[in-house]
Amino acid sequence: MNDATNDVREHAGEHDAWLAALDGELRRRGIEPGLARHVVAEAAAHLRDSRQPPLAAFGRPDVYAAAVADSVGEPVSGARRPPPGPVRLEARGIVKRYRRRPVLAGVDLTVRAGQIAAIVGANGCGKSTLLRICAGMVSPDRGRVHVHGTLGYCPQDGGTSEFLVPDEHFVLVGAGRGMGRAAAVGAGRAHAAALDWNPAGAGQARLLSGGTRQKLNLVMAGLGDPDVLLLDEPYQGFDRGAYVDFWHQLWRWRDAGKAIVVVTHLLDRLDRVDTVLDLTPVPEPEIRA
Amino acid sequence: MLAALVRRESYGYELAQSLDAAGLGPIRGGTLYPVLLRLQRTGMVTAQWREGEAGPARKYYRITESGGEVLRRTAADWESFAGGVSAILREVAAR
Repeated sequence: MNDATNDVREHAGEHDAWLAALDGELRRRGIEPGLARHVVAEAAAHLRDSRQPPLAAFGRPDVYAAAVADSVGEPVSGARRPPPGPVRLEARGIVKRYRRRPVLAGVDLTVRAGQIAAIVGANGCGKSTLLRICAGMVSPDRGRVHVHGTLGYCPQDGGTSEFLVPDEHFVLVGAGRGMGRAAAVGAGRAHAAALDWNPAGAGQARLLSGGTRQKLNLVMAGLGDPDVLLLDEPYQGFDRGAYVDFWHQLWRWRDAGKAIVVVTHLLDRLDRVDTVLDLTPVPEPEIRA
Repeated sequence: MLAALVRRESYGYELAQSLDAAGLGPIRGGTLYPVLLRLQRTGMVTAQWREGEAGPARKYYRITESGGEVLRRTAADWESFAGGVSAILREVAAR
């Protein structure tokens, strides 16, 4: 009798932990909360009826959540989106040569508030160079960039200070954007939580993993609510879950009216952005809408 | 799955059991429910949460008219395919 009770309790704990993980994974994939509740409740009923351990019946929570997401299709977030706002970033006729090799040959890019532009193309085609030019860190040989509003930039790597802890990064960057210490740390930790990262007790940046350092970079780019966000492949070292979180963060920023430019070589999300700029060398650079 | 629902409405675990009993082997929940979700999304089945006779609430699935139509078509296709295969195998057996 006692053994049986213990057994049931142990199973209940295992079930609850698995179901909670499933719930989190479903939400992280943008499954509408009502549907997520149903999926979790149905899995709970199945576990109760079958008396199977969750891993045997359903497999890993993240894998099962992915199967569910595939079955219901992508969330239709585009349905109620307001029309894009004013132009925030305008690059016209950008030309850049390295030595005598032309890297950018007359590139145009316009991004409005509430839009995501993806810059794609082969390695070495000038994606990062264009982003640095937009950020004002590199001068073009020809052409002009107009930024209307404040700017946040997330580099591909670097950008963190080896001997500072994450909170100190937030304070430093926040100060540059007119934020007080407490406000900067609060905002930094909130943005980090959206990426499933708790920086509160984290050590110095040099001790963080590559993926976590990129989360720190991404959080810093978004501090102080800049109008324009320039993100250079910021998901290097992210695991699959963090990668999904990253895109959801992007869509939240877009829905909040930010203008976003993201350099990427991963093409699986291009159906969810507004503009794709392909820099792969062709006779005429083109913009596809 | 649709054929198992033709007899009567049912919930996931019960469906898995009846498919297992029919000789299709055990079907994991991780395989079963995504299929049911897809059938529900494409309008082949409807679903409703209801209290069981004794136990807690379960999600009951019921086949729709268009689900029945798809099932009839599939059954006819399968019939002609299986008929062809049987004919070939009969020749083999007769040798």
